[in-house]
Amino acid sequence: MTVLGVIFMVASLIFVWGLTFWCFYKVLTAPKDDHVVKPPDSLGG
Amino acid sequence: MSASNKQEWGSRLGVILAVAGSAVGLGNFLRFPGQAAQHGGGAFMIPYFCALLLLGIPIGWAEWTMGRYGGRKGFHSAPAILGVIGRGRLWRYLGVIGVLIPLGVSFYYVFIEAWCLSYCFKYVGALFGGPGIGIVSGAPVGEQTGASAATFNTMIGSSADGSLFQGGVASIVWFWLAVFAINVWLVRRGLSGGIETFCKWAMPAMAVCALVVLVRVLTLDAPTPDQTVANGLGFMWNPDFEALKHPDTWMAAAGQIFFSLSVGFGVIINYASYMKRKDDLVLSGLTASATNELFEVGFGGMITLTASFVFLGATGAMAAAASGSFGLGFTTLPVVFAQMPAGNLIGALWFFMLFLAAITSSISMYQPTLAFVEEALGCTRDKAIAIVAVVGLIGSAWVVYFSGGMVALGTIDDWVGTFLIVVLAAVQVICFAWIFGMTRGMKEAHEGAYMRIPSIFRLVIQFVAPAYLLIAIGTFASQSLPGWWKGLGTNPVARNTMLLVLAVILCLVVLTAIGEKRWRAAGLDVDGERPPDDELPARSGKGGAR
Repeated sequence: MTVLGVIFMVASLIFVWGLTFWCFYKVLTAPKDDHVVKPPDSLGG
Repeated sequence: MSASNKQEWGSRLGVILAVAGSAVGLGNFLRFPGQAAQHGGGAFMIPYFCALLLLGIPIGWAEWTMGRYGGRKGFHSAPAILGVIGRGRLWRYLGVIGVLIPLGVSFYYVFIEAWCLSYCFKYVGALFGGPGIGIVSGAPVGEQTGASAATFNTMIGSSADGSLFQGGVASIVWFWLAVFAINVWLVRRGLSGGIETFCKWAMPAMAVCALVVLVRVLTLDAPTPDQTVANGLGFMWNPDFEALKHPDTWMAAAGQIFFSLSVGFGVIINYASYMKRKDDLVLSGLTASATNELFEVGFGGMITLTASFVFLGATGAMAAAASGSFGLGFTTLPVVFAQMPAGNLIGALWFFMLFLAAITSSISMYQPTLAFVEEALGCTRDKAIAIVAVVGLIGSAWVVYFSGGMVALGTIDDWVGTFLIVVLAAVQVICFAWIFGMTRGMKEAHEGAYMRIPSIFRLVIQFVAPAYLLIAIGTFASQSLPGWWKGLGTNPVARNTMLLVLAVILCLVVLTAIGEKRWRAAGLDVDGERPPDDELPARSGKGGAR
């Protein structure tokens, strides 16, 4: 396995594992109700 | 208030796992590694992640948004929801594709699911001294591969149509009936009590099985100095940047993302329609996509080709990558397990994991049709289940009986499970971005959201995704469709299978017409003409699509 192969593999794994853990952390620690994020002004919201 | 309107998700984690369960399927473990190895290895991940960010996640957000909005209007099926979003009959009838795809794919998917369960049982039996797959331990690899292929082809009845019913009913038919019954039972238990509860159990179980198999593969001893785990990972991940110069690589990456995430499948729009107005869908959609990527890249990208390389060498791994999902999963991997210490246990876990991946997808395929029948005819959930079960059983029986050369399966997969998915995604994203409107769409998406969609995705959803999808449809139409069309003329089974699909489309169109009359008579906002902030009386139990 080449150094570039290791880099691509590790970077990909960090990305998917990191994204998944971050998402589930946000979902599981989110408040139950009444937490509404308004859309950015630029979107017309 | 109808039984349909009482259906809702029990928790936000439940809906996320249900959508992720629908997306994670055999393609994550069997198709992705082959695509990556054939298109530049590690370099494939560049177009792959670009496609994830520019296509998969944004189109998914659009679908979640349309689904939840349609649910607020009292609708749960793609035809009704697209009629509301697109404000007209044209979009409503195009929405029929959103029911046809999950129903049509279920015709063959439950059969494949039965293969996985059958192989799992064979490996469990081998643990207790049974014959297993019929591969002779210690025989030359070529001989083992031949035996593995023969076992698979006999099991699925690929030699001739009706071969699974000659000289008695083949065991795979009983597996198929059992799997079908399990699907109907789970769907009948309802959205929260059946699909959600099962996915909350099955998804972690799938992850545990995948983790055990991954650890086993990464700790394999090298049979020769060259066939090490590191070199096996290198076979999959060493980048070939030359591949990035070929348009095929970028199309393959986008195609893999697209089919893997189940966008344009008609499931997300139905599942999201059961969410409450203030339920988050931005983070939920992202989490479901991330979970799918974890199984695809984190497990699929690490297990199959690495193990194939260690035991079969570079040539064997190359052949495995090129043999397609079925060849890799049901012919090559059993040979790999035969060389592996504790191979029967790993094989049992592997095929149990594939079975879970398949069943969490297949149960999601019945729910959109069920919701459509229920709200089109205004019948009870039990009656709708009976109708969907009969249609599903007939369609699936067709695939099981016409098993010769997998022509019936392949025809439905090509036309419904491949081509129409791209068409439906294009219909949905154009309807969302250009008819419903991006400003309104983004505002709707952010109702109850736990995070903001970055502004750049407004441009992505409005321009990039439709452009890509229209190019993909054009490419399909010019390159693949003529050959497929020709195949229909020369193969009676393929032609008759398409006639079956057309008959299903006709029934769905008629049901849509019946439903439209009922919805108008009930005073529902069929054409999405009322202000977006209206809330249905159904929310307080006084109305709805029934």
